[in-house]
Amino acid sequence: MSAPAAILEVEKLKVSFGGLKAVNDVSFSVRRGSVTSVIGPNGAGKSTLFNLICGAIAPDGGRVRLNGNDVTGWPPNRIARAGLARSFQITNLFFDLTVEENLRLAAQALEPGGKLLQPKRRSERANAKVRELLERFELSHKARELAGYLSHGEQRRLEIAVALAGEPELLLLDEPTQGMSHGDTADTSRMIRELARDITILLIEHDIELVMGLSHWVVVMHQGQKLSEGPPEQVRADPAVRRAYLGEA
Amino acid sequence: MTEAIEYLQFVLAPQMLNGLTIGVAVVLVALGLSIIFGLLDVVNMAHGEFYALGAFVSMSLYGLGVSFWLALVLVPLIVLPIGYLIERGLIQRVYQHDQRHVLTLLLTVGLSIIMEDAFHLIYGPNTMRPENPLPGSTEILGVIVPNYRLFLLAVGAATIVATWLVIYRTRLGAMIRAAAFDKHMTASLGVPVLRVYAGTFAFGVALAGFAGVLLAPIYSVFPTMGHDFVLLAFTAVIVGGIGSFYGAVIAGLLLAQIQAISSLYISPHWSDPLLFAIMVAVLVVRPQGLFNWMGRS
Amino acid sequence: MRPANPAVSAAAPARARRRLGVRHLAVAFPVLSLVFAGIGAALGETFYLRLATEALILAGLAISVDILLGYTGLLSLGQALYFGLGAYTAAFLLGQGAVGFWGALLASLALATPVALLAGLVAIRSKGVYFILITFGLAQVAAKAVYNTRELGGSDGLVGVPVLQADFGLFRVDLGSPVAFFLLMLALIMGLYAGLNYLMHTPFGRTLVAIRSNEHRVRFLGFDPWRYKLAAYVVAANVAALCGALYPMLRGFVSPELLYFKMSADAVITVILGGVGTLIGPIYGSVALVGLRTVLGSWTEHYHMIIGALFMLAVIFMPRGFAGLFDRSEGDPAQDEGEGT
Repeated sequence: MSAPAAILEVEKLKVSFGGLKAVNDVSFSVRRGSVTSVIGPNGAGKSTLFNLICGAIAPDGGRVRLNGNDVTGWPPNRIARAGLARSFQITNLFFDLTVEENLRLAAQALEPGGKLLQPKRRSERANAKVRELLERFELSHKARELAGYLSHGEQRRLEIAVALAGEPELLLLDEPTQGMSHGDTADTSRMIRELARDITILLIEHDIELVMGLSHWVVVMHQGQKLSEGPPEQVRADPAVRRAYLGEA
Repeated sequence: MTEAIEYLQFVLAPQMLNGLTIGVAVVLVALGLSIIFGLLDVVNMAHGEFYALGAFVSMSLYGLGVSFWLALVLVPLIVLPIGYLIERGLIQRVYQHDQRHVLTLLLTVGLSIIMEDAFHLIYGPNTMRPENPLPGSTEILGVIVPNYRLFLLAVGAATIVATWLVIYRTRLGAMIRAAAFDKHMTASLGVPVLRVYAGTFAFGVALAGFAGVLLAPIYSVFPTMGHDFVLLAFTAVIVGGIGSFYGAVIAGLLLAQIQAISSLYISPHWSDPLLFAIMVAVLVVRPQGLFNWMGRS
Repeated sequence: MRPANPAVSAAAPARARRRLGVRHLAVAFPVLSLVFAGIGAALGETFYLRLATEALILAGLAISVDILLGYTGLLSLGQALYFGLGAYTAAFLLGQGAVGFWGALLASLALATPVALLAGLVAIRSKGVYFILITFGLAQVAAKAVYNTRELGGSDGLVGVPVLQADFGLFRVDLGSPVAFFLLMLALIMGLYAGLNYLMHTPFGRTLVAIRSNEHRVRFLGFDPWRYKLAAYVVAANVAALCGALYPMLRGFVSPELLYFKMSADAVITVILGGVGTLIGPIYGSVALVGLRTVLGSWTEHYHMIIGALFMLAVIFMPRGFAGLFDRSEGDPAQDEGEGT
């Protein structure tokens, strides 16, 4: 039984806050192994969309399917265990714990429940994962440092590393280059391209150049609705998209 | 039919009236608590002790020959500066800290311990009971009502209305509400925010102290009276919604009624667990209470 | 651009310093206690040994508070509920002659777990201050219920708990001997310390700490915070009940005061003064509190005022290590909302 081609399917998803339709009848699917980006002006509803997909908020209507399974309304921890991980736009680490501990917590999901009550060193798979991630994200020298003391760029890297620690199939990255310097942004872009070899990535980004260079597929949102979708060049040329972005930096 | 009317007249109505008078006092205490919590973000675990303080101070005043009527006026005036100084001198010291909610709660826990022990020290462990200043009773619609309870009801209701007027119809009230909503903005408008906070706290605990004087002839005065009573007030605040004026009023009256009427059918020892169960039920079903912030539902 | 979390800057150096000291303190305590016991035995002393045993029993209550406060980030102002539950269960059964030492302990635990599950189910759903108030209310209501129940001795409590023999198979401990009881209690407390310390360093315990640090994020790592908090709550309740059961064995009686707010508040105070999240700190704190009570108590009946004042000063001048206790924004999806994305 092979895995469905679409790892994520979003169907007529909608949610309102008060009178505001934050996400309004949005449908699209994410192909396994691709890098899909969600772009749109401020207030378009991108982060709310992410929150709906990962279970942080429950939709008023519509469905979310992960690997063919209906995960609509599932709590975030259940969806995480089903293979979806996300990083946050505003760094959301365990600031008063060490870098190592941040990663170890996330990697613990790889271990069976019984390991919870055994000493930490027995969770070998998780520990190995931590070592791997520390190296890959160049954070080994900061392993014992408290996450709150890292530089902004290092924190953003750790943010993504933590999301990866649970070996997800689908990774939601919420503005990973937020606040980064140009150099860091280029590094991050390279890293995302590398990650995309193993897992599927759904990305929210403001940096249009980054998006165009990285993505196989782009979804454009505007005022809570899906405005357009397609390969990057097609979306870029779409007059409706240009209109929505008029005046945007 | 006559049995039903007699039941109404001699059993239910007096009990409901009891509930109403106690309810009014509960509202006074709950209002203070809700105002302090809603406007200052301070969980005043010592609120019951301020209620007790009012009662104890009134006892001292009676000992000095002061009349009940004068004491009613003097006690809040005495409690106000005490509350102001405590807020300004102690509680405000932790306002800058980002964990101020816990810290203020812990501070008031310490304060309640100090105050309770102080009562013990100054007044001894025994229960005291002031004389009923308004003995006798009146008959209203065939129901016999003790005069003091009528008085309590009238004074309590008047105080609640006065409090509402102050908060919603005066400039001072507007300042308090503004400071609660956005401290920095209000400060930049020239409002002395810290003093407003201290004053609000003082006002809240003075309400509690006032209730203490009013209820002393009914419930007696003893060092742990604060703990006993404050749970009911906390329940009213939580059920009504923290920071909600109307919530505190409605929940306070409602809960006191439930307590009064239920005591007709079940042993009064069970009324506390019953009220607590109600509070828990409300928290489960509607965690923000019946009403929201400052009366908006 | 998000600056380093201020809660880290304040707590981190203190915590790092503390980690070094904690290990030393943890070793020093049993050593010092054994010395104390030795001296006491040699002098044929009873009063101070019994007082010290009581301090150790109360230390159990303090540890129970620390599991919740220092590790899970939950402030319970009603842990005395379980202490009293354990005490009354033991006193009642022992007074009837229905059980012996082990039976009393087991009965207390058997009662504490379901009560904690029920209470936890209700309390843990509530955030921040509501949890605190519910735990407070639970203990108050229970205290009043016990006070009003004649079968439980009403306001006088239960008396007539016999002096026990604790049968360990290979040997017997005569609880009537002050030294013996003290040593037993010391072993129990150090055992609890060791066990809980181990637990808090397992992935389970580390998840609790993570919940305290950032409950919101924990969910996205695949953990259900609610289950962990409930587990911690039940563990804490059992610790409190276990130590509570030993109280009547020492004092010979129980009274409703064991459930009063003062009891819960004192435990919280010892945890905060002793060191939140260290487990050994609260043990020292309890000893200090009982010591202070004895010393001050010989001068004045009103030592509680002084303790309350010391506590307030501690809160004002040492407000560190309180990170995450009162997270109002937990689980708020708006937290990861950007500037209008």
